[in-house]
Amino acid sequence: MHFVYGLALLAAVLVAAPYFAHRLRRRRGEERVFAAARLVPPAPPRARRRSKLEDRALFGTRALAVVGLAVLGASPLVRCSRLALQRPGGASVAIALVVDDSMSMRALSSGTTRFDRAKEGARQLLASTREGDAVAIVLAGAPARVALAATTDLGAARAAVDALVQSDRGTDLDGAIGMSHALIAQLPQVDRRVVVLSDLADGHPDGPPIGEGTEIPTWVALPELREPAADCGILGADRLGPRVRVRIACSHDATALGREVTLLDGDRVVARAAAPSGESGETTLMLAEPADGGPPAAQADSLQAHLTGTDAIAADDTAPVVIEAGPGSIAVVADSVDELAVTGGAPVVEQALAALELDVAVRPIPALPDRSEDLAPFAGAILDDPPGFTPEERRALGSFLEGGGVVLLALGPRAAAAPLGASLDPIVPHAVVWGPTPVPGVDPATSAGVLAESATSLQDVAAKSRVTLAPEDVGNFEPLLKWKDGPLFVAKRSVGRGEAWIVTLPFAIDASDLPLRPAFLALLDAWAAEARARAAPRRTDVGVAWAFPGAHGVTVEGPAGRVPVVYDGPVARVVPPLLGTYTVSVDSKRELRVASLVARELDLRPRGAAPAAGGAGLGDSHAAIDISSSIALLLLGLTVVEMTLRLRARTRAVAET
Amino acid sequence: MAEGVYAGSHRSARRGAGVEFGGHRAYTPGDDLRWLDRRSLLLHDRLLVRQFETETDRALRLVVDATTSMGYRGTGAPGAKLAFSALVSAALARVAVSSGDPVGLTYFGGGPNSRSLPVSGGREAFERILGSLEAAEAGGDARADASVLERALAIIARSARRGSIVVVLSDLLDLPEVAADRVSAIATRGRVLVVVQVLDPDEVSLPFEGTVRLRSLEGDVVVETDVEATRARYLAALAELTSEWDRALAARGARFVRAVTTDDPVRIVREIVQAAR
Repeated sequence: MHFVYGLALLAAVLVAAPYFAHRLRRRRGEERVFAAARLVPPAPPRARRRSKLEDRALFGTRALAVVGLAVLGASPLVRCSRLALQRPGGASVAIALVVDDSMSMRALSSGTTRFDRAKEGARQLLASTREGDAVAIVLAGAPARVALAATTDLGAARAAVDALVQSDRGTDLDGAIGMSHALIAQLPQVDRRVVVLSDLADGHPDGPPIGEGTEIPTWVALPELREPAADCGILGADRLGPRVRVRIACSHDATALGREVTLLDGDRVVARAAAPSGESGETTLMLAEPADGGPPAAQADSLQAHLTGTDAIAADDTAPVVIEAGPGSIAVVADSVDELAVTGGAPVVEQALAALELDVAVRPIPALPDRSEDLAPFAGAILDDPPGFTPEERRALGSFLEGGGVVLLALGPRAAAAPLGASLDPIVPHAVVWGPTPVPGVDPATSAGVLAESATSLQDVAAKSRVTLAPEDVGNFEPLLKWKDGPLFVAKRSVGRGEAWIVTLPFAIDASDLPLRPAFLALLDAWAAEARARAAPRRTDVGVAWAFPGAHGVTVEGPAGRVPVVYDGPVARVVPPLLGTYTVSVDSKRELRVASLVARELDLRPRGAAPAAGGAGLGDSHAAIDISSSIALLLLGLTVVEMTLRLRARTRAVAET
Repeated sequence: MAEGVYAGSHRSARRGAGVEFGGHRAYTPGDDLRWLDRRSLLLHDRLLVRQFETETDRALRLVVDATTSMGYRGTGAPGAKLAFSALVSAALARVAVSSGDPVGLTYFGGGPNSRSLPVSGGREAFERILGSLEAAEAGGDARADASVLERALAIIARSARRGSIVVVLSDLLDLPEVAADRVSAIATRGRVLVVVQVLDPDEVSLPFEGTVRLRSLEGDVVVETDVEATRARYLAALAELTSEWDRALAARGARFVRAVTTDDPVRIVREIVQAAR
């Protein structure tokens, strides 16, 4: 202990001396028995009455002065637990604050979230900055982003820190630190630092230590943020009919044993089941008819899955139930008259769809509708060798695709012989050619994606003729399978927010044996899955941007209100910052999207920090506070008050005399 | 002491047949026609009946406050208030016995030796009263226990006959708020009531100095006060208390006498006798 501490203690005792003197002066009067005490009015002793106004004020003033002097003397020793920058060289510094706003920072620590503690730490660091210092703020929620570019405007930095809000994003510490380096590397300040205010729980506990091998010194502050914690959360809840599948994951070495998964329709529990006992797992719940005669839970469109019990993060214990398949049906436009003669029943494509037993209705329609609203109920449309599209049909089909519809277009002789004024636009803008097939069969090596496994069944597909696309159109398509001689066999392209698939053979039996091959079923299955997925609410990880190319008016309503939309040229982008359901309105067409939990955020194990990142020479968690100027001003004020009081007392004494 | 105060008969409150004219009242059917005032009938044409005072014996009921506050004795007092009250009571009893009137004694409060005595006459009765007054000791809290006063007054109200003289000796300091009404109610039904307030010299002057904490003997009151600053207000409060009692008693035709333990007891007894006439 420093000897000065003893002196400080002695001063503290002296501070109490005036108080005890005052108490001694205010001793009680002698007690006497007196029968008529009830008639005696109480009155404070004369000394106390005399000291009531002027003496009390003087006492308070002097006591404050003594306390002020004591604090002034001890001010070099006054320290408190707060972050502050150290300035070994005394020069201005440039600091980049990396504030982690990821999901894991929602964990509670001593009654407050880690994010709030980090925010408070950022405020404390800003309080220790001086004129000439430069500050940049980077957020470490994925993707890392700049909250404030490097600036010497400390007021703007404080405002930026105050404006920071918690998100449910994943963690991108490396990106944030790299961004911080880039922000301050070119600044004129010689002393540059990166201060990381994070729990370092980015899902890579074995990753390289933070602050290792960096050119700019890195200080990983606030070690209390990295205290161990356990959390379980719902990764997703998917519904298919009355069956709801809830996937749950927990932190390392933690389980949800003893907790329950419940399905909530508002406040009503419609189903419950025990949570899986491992670190991760899934539970399937069945929606049953309610016994109390309420509305059937299976029809509820706002179900929530909830994990009972408590853990470090409450926000990830609830998730919206997402319908796995869209409710729409599939429209099939085929020549039923010709097909009837060949198959003796429905067209082969309809029979193939029936054989797949898809959980979606198949509706044959005689011709492509020429009004967009007639196509709206369909999740997808299969067009088997249409004789081109009329302008009205093109407009309806374009609107359908722009809105997210999926079309499977089989090209055949009728498509190649489209009458004047009809074309295959917007899927294939130029005319196609129906001609003999020089080399039969497809090349399985060119298969990609969904047809990779079944492409071998088409190696010797027999087709006397086929459709060849104009060279200008070939580049617009992504090939999924090619003929042996190179032209496209199956391909797809994006149109607006929708997708168009083409096959260069018609689905008629007399044109080729394609419908008889297993790959045909695989093709239909893959296409139908894509159509259903696009009809269902889209689910992405929270923090992953949604892009709306070509959209003119995009509005997004999320759990915390409207989400800002950023226009990057013709592309509108929206980043969902929180878990939950979002209502997206694109050019007046509404759809639901879901932002899901990033599984990595459940791993609360922190990454290591390099020994050099402990803050030595960079900052201090127990900062000395220079309060001498404030104390000096206080003492000056007290002196004025005492002089005023004494003057008043003297004036009063003269008046009484 | 009693011999020097009073000797001889006193007037009776009972009016009727006698020798000394006592006034007129309106005739009511059933009155003795012998007392019809014929001259008034002839002069004023009104039926009036003449009344006469009758000499008779009148019982003396002594009611002594023996609560704790009566045991107070200030530094300049010859004795406690209870002792002074006992002395005055004994003298009054002597006067009554000498006149042939019966005497009774009732305490409110008091220690276990403070025994009340029924109304009786003669020398032996006086001796018993003297013995009881000598043995009386202060005790009890009339402020905390209102029944202390109520019990004593109930006995008087029930047993004191018309024409009785009731003398109450008390400091009146720690009695309940309703005590003035209750005590003055005795002065009904033809009874004569005299209330004697017995105070200690300290209580009439508040002689303390500086800051003192005053603890009452009844009611558990503690007051911290600066005597010099509050003496005037205390004396005013005491005067107000006295005035309240005086007004309450006067309204019922009762009398109020104030005594300090340093006063001449003979003078006090004489004042009481005069008040009881």
